[in-house]
Amino acid sequence: MKDSQAFDHRPDPELGAALRAALEPKDDQKVFVARVMAQYESALDRATVPTLDVLASWFRPGIAAAAAALVAGLLFGRAVLTPAPASIDAAMAPLEGPGLAALVTAQDPPDASVVFSSLVEQR
Amino acid sequence: MGSSEEDKGLVAKSLAGDRDAFGVLVERYAQQARRVARAVLGDPDDADDAAQDGFLSALVKLAQYDTRRPFGPWLMRIVANAATDRRRRRNVRQAEPLDPSLVGGGPRPDAVAMRSELGARLRTALGELSERRRTAVVLFDVEGYSHAEIAGILGIPEGTVRSEVFHARRRLRTLLADWKEQVR
Repeated sequence: MKDSQAFDHRPDPELGAALRAALEPKDDQKVFVARVMAQYESALDRATVPTLDVLASWFRPGIAAAAAALVAGLLFGRAVLTPAPASIDAAMAPLEGPGLAALVTAQDPPDASVVFSSLVEQR
Repeated sequence: MGSSEEDKGLVAKSLAGDRDAFGVLVERYAQQARRVARAVLGDPDDADDAAQDGFLSALVKLAQYDTRRPFGPWLMRIVANAATDRRRRRNVRQAEPLDPSLVGGGPRPDAVAMRSELGARLRTALGELSERRRTAVVLFDVEGYSHAEIAGILGIPEGTVRSEVFHARRRLRTLLADWKEQVR
């Protein structure tokens, strides 16, 4: 055995042999190899199938959620950003209303409250 | 252990789906992987579980292996990591308890019992070292890896490997010398 204080860059055969004997498995190596190889297929399956399963599980809900979000977004955008079309019929519909009649028959420029009330009556 | 070129050929076949080629790799490195795992874990059954985890993990990661480098250190890194993970998960005891009858004072044992006693003492001494230190000394003195290779396996600087091996050897050599004095 070598000087215990020395830094040595070579393995110590005596210590190595003693440690090897202390750590050496006692049973037949073939048993261990067979045990590992018995898991060969399942290890490969675990490595690939779960990934595909996860992707598959994400796929349908993901597509459905994306489609729902798209439709909701389109409807919301259309409702908020597009002004409501004002047709002539709609504008002239409440003929009996006092606001619109006053607006049409007045000699002077209309008062803002009259215009406002006529619009309110349309709704 | 086979040559590095043979290992690379077996890896290539394994990657192509050759189950038997992977089996040869397992045969070649089984004992080494089990010893390294036992150096980390102490308990032989846990060590075998970890070594198995290491081989199967290596199988799954085989495409990541850089064929310009030797296969052994790459595999031992995976095995050592599997053993460390197992120890953390299960809080495995790090050293086997020493049989009180082996500490001293009993009848003088025969040759087989003496070897068994030395093995038990060495395992206990290993268990008293840090995990990194005992793994480093086993990889160096038992498995014959270089400091640079061990640095790669353990993910630490080469200088740290030298220091760990030095301190582990000092402890283990003292124990071995004491034992030799006793049996004289």
